[in-house]
Amino acid sequence: MNAIEVNSLTKYYGDHLAVDHISFSVKKGEIFGFLVPNGAGKTTTQRMLTTLLKPTSGQILINGQDIARDAYPAKRVMGLVPEESCVYTELSAWDNLMFTSRLYLVPRSERADRAHYLLKTFGLLEKKDVKVEKFSKGMRRRLSIGMAIIHKPTLLFLDEPTPGLDAQSARDILGLIRNLNAEGTTVFLTTHLIEEANQLCDRVAIINNGMIARIDTPENLKLTFQRVQSVEVSLKPNGHNYGEELGKLSGVISILKMGDKWRLFSEDPSLLLPAIIKFAEKNTLSIVSLNTLAPSLEDVFLEITGSPVGAVQQVTNNNDAQKHGMGEQK
Amino acid sequence: MQLTIQRLKNEFLEAWTVVVKDIRVYYLRPGMIMFGFLMPFFMFFSFSVKRELDAGDGLARLLALTIFFTAAAAGPFIIPTERSVRTYDRLLAAPMSLITLLLGKIAVGAFFAIAVSTVALIAGLLIFDVTIAQPGFLALGIFLGAVAFSTLGLIFGSIPTNNPGDVQMPSTLLRWGLMFISGVFVPLGEMTTFARIIAYFSPLTYAQDLMNHSVMGSGMINVWLDVAVLLLTSILLLWPSIQLHKRAQVLGK
Repeated sequence: MNAIEVNSLTKYYGDHLAVDHISFSVKKGEIFGFLVPNGAGKTTTQRMLTTLLKPTSGQILINGQDIARDAYPAKRVMGLVPEESCVYTELSAWDNLMFTSRLYLVPRSERADRAHYLLKTFGLLEKKDVKVEKFSKGMRRRLSIGMAIIHKPTLLFLDEPTPGLDAQSARDILGLIRNLNAEGTTVFLTTHLIEEANQLCDRVAIINNGMIARIDTPENLKLTFQRVQSVEVSLKPNGHNYGEELGKLSGVISILKMGDKWRLFSEDPSLLLPAIIKFAEKNTLSIVSLNTLAPSLEDVFLEITGSPVGAVQQVTNNNDAQKHGMGEQK
Repeated sequence: MQLTIQRLKNEFLEAWTVVVKDIRVYYLRPGMIMFGFLMPFFMFFSFSVKRELDAGDGLARLLALTIFFTAAAAGPFIIPTERSVRTYDRLLAAPMSLITLLLGKIAVGAFFAIAVSTVALIAGLLIFDVTIAQPGFLALGIFLGAVAFSTLGLIFGSIPTNNPGDVQMPSTLLRWGLMFISGVFVPLGEMTTFARIIAYFSPLTYAQDLMNHSVMGSGMINVWLDVAVLLLTSILLLWPSIQLHKRAQVLGK
């Protein structure tokens, strides 16, 4: 039996179609990533799965039970970490955890031990009696996750768990998600951070225009999109901008300036490598580094969602290009 | 059967958890103190000044006003506030039915009203040396009034909005409207026939009459009719709140 099974799930807001007949299943014990561009039905889907939003049509089964008929059994085994850290700022960290543990009927004898363990794990033990209004964003996020798991849910929904956090807090939270999964918790992770999904997820679904474009393991997705491989070359600077000439090399689909490197996208990097070396020799340039790169999950995502490879970086780099007179897209 | 009893027990415990949390988080917030605690006293004193009220009559009016304003203040303040900071999602996603959650929220307003009206009652007894004619009906009246008006406030709290300001204005307007058409400031017996017919549409009229029976021993309406109307109000006014919550679940608010 799957932890989550979704059949033809659809959501309209008035005339706007936010989620378009999506179907997927999440196996018990896996970390399932839901990769969605911002504002493209990400939170809508998660809110439907967690009973907060009523679908226009379709069916959601949690542990085989239809939540439209009776959501109670599903709610008992779920933990929810919403995008915003919805904690009671007027209460202390300890009181927030105690409130949630009572709400989920954690046995009285276990409440204090679990709260103590979570506060210690999240580095909040010393602040346990401090009102949450004095907490930083990262501390609130950790507390919010603690509130979602104090009843030991078997299914955890996480909506964008790390954006806005400092690197250490983000790393701690990703580590915690891995640990929870290792203990058997199924995790449904909604994110637009592709690298986060790449590092954490057993499988990912890529959503485009409210529909599921692909579902597979991150590595399989990358293999499917081998044609978006690239070569990254760094040439010793000599005051000349070689971007335009590199872009004209045979087999180059597009080119992107990334710091002191050029990234040349090609369907066949093996043919491109000799061309680059020949180009460097012809122009008496020293090659600092030359690497072939497999497609990243981000490349795959951009390819699937219809944006050209490197489109996200292009915005940044075009700005740079205007400022520094370099960088272009073929 | 045993499963159903266990689930009811669980849901009761969960609703109680929400009540205790709301009491701790919201009872001392400025919005609750202003609209729930100070407002009925302001209203009472502003309409009682220079009117030679009998002590019992004054206490009955003060109690009706206190129960009405205090109980109806919680819903329009707490739920939109929780929606605006998204903590309401935590409650909606918790393992309890919507009705359980709403009953918990009604209890929050009702307890607030019972506590504040008890203060008003004690003050009335000590300062004006009033004797309560029917203590049993007084307790029943305070309880039923608190539940009925808290349920009324819940309707406004259930309006799908994340902005508490959107709800406060219409709820205040309704409360004032009900107050003026009811027999709180002008006794039913002194009203014109038309005004009295209008007054009968307001549940506050029955709460006031029940307070008159309880404190002074007499009222214009049958005391059991007062009890029945307040009980019915509590049950019927829950329906719009359920429907508004279902609407919010469709709209995603």
